[in-house]
Amino acid sequence: MKLHDMVIHESDAEKINAVLTTFLGESGATEALLIDRSGQLLAMTGANRALDTVSISALAAGAFSSTGALAQLLGETEFTVLFHQGNKESMHVSTVDDQAILLAIFGERTTVGMVRLFAKEAATAVGLLLAEARAKPKTMGALSKPLTADESRTSFGEPRKI
Amino acid sequence: MAIINYAQKVINFKVVYYGPGVAGKTANLQHIHKSLPDTSKGNMISLAAGDDRTLFFDFLPVSATTVRGFTAKFQLYTVPGQVYYNMTRKLVLRGLDGLIFVADSQWDRLRENVESFRNLEENLREYNYNLDEMPYVIQYNKRDLANVAPIEYLEFMLNRRARRVPYFEAVAVNGDGVFDTLNTVSRMVLVGEFGQEKGEHRETA
Repeated sequence: MKLHDMVIHESDAEKINAVLTTFLGESGATEALLIDRSGQLLAMTGANRALDTVSISALAAGAFSSTGALAQLLGETEFTVLFHQGNKESMHVSTVDDQAILLAIFGERTTVGMVRLFAKEAATAVGLLLAEARAKPKTMGALSKPLTADESRTSFGEPRKI
Repeated sequence: MAIINYAQKVINFKVVYYGPGVAGKTANLQHIHKSLPDTSKGNMISLAAGDDRTLFFDFLPVSATTVRGFTAKFQLYTVPGQVYYNMTRKLVLRGLDGLIFVADSQWDRLRENVESFRNLEENLREYNYNLDEMPYVIQYNKRDLANVAPIEYLEFMLNRRARRVPYFEAVAVNGDGVFDTLNTVSRMVLVGEFGQEKGEHRETA
């Protein structure tokens, strides 16, 4: 299990954000979200809007994985692009590697063709950075030592017995 | 699959509620969503079919603790319990860090519980996950109903692997046992990820 952990160090985050910022500049998209296929947000760059990025990540990963299952029913490995068109806002989701996807949100000032073109380049660059990040040691500094009993205790709500 | 983000000082874990249809998986999430303050939870999303049964998944992000300066966040998912939704059920398991098996305690649901547990083992195998290494607990739900099987019997049917895991009695619609279950599995996930100092009590043992 631990082999599959994803660790993003500060230097990785900076490099990924730089790639995503370039992607936004070239494609005209407003936001770019790098999402793990399990549904968790890895990085985000873009307009400072109050988007529920946690929910967007979970739903986009779900939609992309179900699209992948549909592809397999047709004998394809996967559909590498998923596109949702809205009246003013649209969404383009594409494969980065077997563990991550790239989601771009864009409005009327660009086209799906532009987003698709530059998303492919960005995905290749981000894929290399993720591979680099995965090769690094998992935990460093504060997290490298085992937890004490107090540190591992969570306290969601008030425990109730029946 | 834990995601540790040193830039944002956040650790993300994925916990999945598994079990047969109408066992109370969604009811667990609904109670957690209702009870936690806004500062500890995000929006709850339910992808349900017309009859309120979960079609794809329910989703609720929660956080309750800070570990050495990192906020530990848990993304809670349910799977659709109905037998015919196995394809979507399998997709939800991807990258999970911990699991809660929600069993329906009623006598006439024993078979569905056992089949769902077997189905869980099969689906995990497809991802090369091993239940023996996975932090998980069992919740025996609907203990308030008249026709429930004794806990010993349910334990014999569902908690019989080499490693016995913690179990909880629950009435999820009232919230009874819901947080005991969640707190225990989240603790097991943290210990599973980072280890625990020698000599400390391990709930996973």
